[in-house]
Amino acid sequence: MSKNERQKEQRELKEARLRADAEEHAKERRSNLFKMAGGAILVAIIVIGVLIVVSQSGSDTKKQDAKLAGIPQNGLVLGKPGAPITVVEFGDLQCPFCKQFSETVTPAVIDGPVRKGKANMEFQNFVIIGPDSVAAAYAAYAAAEQNRYWDFIEAFYAEQGTENTGYVTDGFLTKIANDAGVPDMAKWEKDRKDTSRWDKQIKKTQTQAAALGFQGTPSFAIRKGNGALKAIQVEKSQDLLDAINQAGK
Amino acid sequence: MPSERTLRIASAIVAVLGMAVATYITIADAGGGSPVCVAGGGGCETVAKSSYSHLAGINVAVFGVLGYIGLLGAAAVKDDRGRLAALLLSVIGFGFSAYLTYLELFVIDAICQWCIGSAILMTISMLIAITRAAGYLGALPPASPDMPDRQAPPESLD
Repeated sequence: MSKNERQKEQRELKEARLRADAEEHAKERRSNLFKMAGGAILVAIIVIGVLIVVSQSGSDTKKQDAKLAGIPQNGLVLGKPGAPITVVEFGDLQCPFCKQFSETVTPAVIDGPVRKGKANMEFQNFVIIGPDSVAAAYAAYAAAEQNRYWDFIEAFYAEQGTENTGYVTDGFLTKIANDAGVPDMAKWEKDRKDTSRWDKQIKKTQTQAAALGFQGTPSFAIRKGNGALKAIQVEKSQDLLDAINQAGK
Repeated sequence: MPSERTLRIASAIVAVLGMAVATYITIADAGGGSPVCVAGGGGCETVAKSSYSHLAGINVAVFGVLGYIGLLGAAAVKDDRGRLAALLLSVIGFGFSAYLTYLELFVIDAICQWCIGSAILMTISMLIAITRAAGYLGALPPASPDMPDRQAPPESLD
């Protein structure tokens, strides 16, 4: 073997060794990177879990639970059934102002006089917006049969859509009833279809509202004991609290 | 196996489309309205008004926009950092989209086409990211025949 051939062979051997080292190094690096990819997927799964927990805990239904917690519900009435004063709200579940009032005006009354048993509240479905309001009212009355009327109203407002867009579907109402914690869904389903009964109730509310001169929602009236309903002008919580104090005198 | 360049371009296109969808939902919500379903019906409205449409007070579509921006960034990075970031973001996006689709189908009982569109785009993103990671993570750069012991020059700019 010539000197040149030996040198060539040595060079080739060196190159082969270097290549093998590089390949080994690359293999190790690749293995570490795949471990990192596995770690990334694990981190992703943890992040998804956290997002789901936050999503569930942020649901409005939880806030409603706190608002009405510990206050008795009987049919259409929220609060002590025998409370000396009754505040009656004439509202339409589709009406955005009614939702706004339920968030900003009535909580002070519910957490104050109603919780303390000095007054109770009644919600009457004054359906003025459209057919979706009627379907919503039937479903709410059916929830009242199981004393979940106010939970239903709050749950409905939490999911309220734009008026008369057809969003009040059977599926939507079932979800609201579930959110409201209606215990017997089969009974609720049957009750809400008893439309002739609820139509009478709606008609009665319309007559009452007309007698009080109400044309829009929400409108409020107050009653002491079994006395006559008296219309009250309400723009803020204090108006309702003052009316309750006034009626109590 | 498609070239990494092809995968990165595909990933960028999907991210831009996803960004457009999520931005539309975000703008519709910020304007006080809801996204409009192309085929009519109130599905988009119902979903957008549901309590699940916001996470800690922020519309979930905002997270979508951020996720797609991140995926676009990951598509632009050619090395392992880009490959891993794309994998991490797309798996998070896919998992959360799957959860939101479950809510639409079984809890809210309404389907929002835009949300489903985003979920499909996120699924495609994840499949691309997995293919890219499986095929190219830590792979030796292609050796040049003239310089077997040296790394090949970096890929040309797109």
